[in-house]
Order: sequence, then structure tokens, then C-alpha cells
Amino acid sequence: MAYKTKTRTEQILKILNILAWLAFTGFMIEAGSIVVSYIVSIINPMAAQKMYKALNLESLKQFSLMHYTIHVSFMVLLPLLKSLVWFMAIKAISKLNMKNPFKMEVALQLEAISYVLLGTWIIVMLNTAHTEWLIKNTGEKLVNGDSGEFIFAAGLVFIISQVFKRGVEIQRENELTV
Amino acid sequence: MPIVINLDVMMARRKMSLNELSGKVDMALANLSILKTGKAKAIRFSTLEALCKALECQPGDLLEYTDS
Repeated sequence: MAYKTKTRTEQILKILNILAWLAFTGFMIEAGSIVVSYIVSIINPMAAQKMYKALNLESLKQFSLMHYTIHVSFMVLLPLLKSLVWFMAIKAISKLNMKNPFKMEVALQLEAISYVLLGTWIIVMLNTAHTEWLIKNTGEKLVNGDSGEFIFAAGLVFIISQVFKRGVEIQRENELTV
Repeated sequence: MPIVINLDVMMARRKMSLNELSGKVDMALANLSILKTGKAKAIRFSTLEALCKALECQPGDLLEYTDS
């Protein structure tokens, strides 16, 4: 039974590793596509009509190049931060060993992930504020992202990292019990 | 830590080497070394019992409280 559980956990970790790589690659491609679309839209103004995922930002670009750049920057920053989170998750998974799971490296990696998630939440909040301002001033139909999930994930991962740290301490104590 | 383990003192008194003690108490050298160097976080009663038996001493001879 214990052997089966161990095998299943290891299999889940392997699948999670593959999924994390896919998510990381996907978000990197998304960020890259937006950057390329932005560069093309600067050279060829018509390209702002059909950006990544058929997003039409031409009127926003005509309203203000600065606000257009800020909006696109947020659009690039979010997938970049998401891909960073997934990359850190890949690193944490690779360091995880089910025979000896409580390692300080993993705990620190989890804590770092929670800080990046907190940073992502701040970026999403700024993006939301900026988008709302743009909707109010330009009447542009822009999509607003949801920030709640990031602060929830940041809190959850931070708690897990602290539990992990305590686990490391208990494991060390156990190892130093003669 | 204010609790000091005087294992090296007792071993010197009994003129016993770490290898000899390891054989008598049936403990790994690495674990005895942890005890001797003061790195240990805790000690089991069974370990203390075995050490006291091998070194013919009392737990108080092995453990000492220092207020520092």
C-alpha cells in the first residue's frame, strides 16, 4: 500500500513537472507574442488593430502612445511573472525528494514563489487601476483581470513554505536525536 | 545550549576510545561523534542507559547544566 502511494505521488510529481514546463513555455510565448505585436504596431500603426488574440488597441494608441505602452507593458509583465512562478515551481519540484522531502532549499523556493505571487498581485492591481482609468477617460472596451486569485495563492504558498520550514527544523532535530 | 554532554570527560576517565564505546553501546560512530561534539539536540533514555552502563556512571556524570 505504502509502495503504491509512493509510486503515485512520484507519478503526480512527474506529471506536474511536465505541466509546469508547458505552462512556463506557454506564458513565455504569450509574453513574446505581445512584445512582437507591440514592436510591429510601432512600425506599422495598422498592426495595433489586430494584436495578440485579435486585441484591437488602435484607438488607445491614437489616444496616447504612453498609455498604450503602459497597457502593453502590463500585458507583457503578467505572463512574464506567471512564467517566472512556474519556473520557480519547476525548480522546487526538481529539488523535492519524497524520501527526504523537508529541505531548506525547497522551503526557501516556496517562500520566494509566494513573494513573486504577491508582486504579481500588486502588478494586477496597478493594471486594474490603469485600465479603469482608461475605460473612464477613453470609453475603450478593455478587459480587466481578476487579482483575488493571486493574493489567495500568495497567502497559501507562504503558509505552506512556513510549514515546510518547521518541517525542516523537526527533521533536523530528529536527525540530531541520538 | 546550556546542557553540556561530558562524554569525552567520562571516556577519558574510563580510558575508553570512541571505537570501543561504539562497540559496547552498539551505536554508530557518527552518532557518538554528534554527542561528543555537542551537536545533539536530544538524547533518548535508551541511549543514556546504554552509555551509563558502558561507562559505569550516572546520567549526572554525562550531563551538566551551565548557566551561560
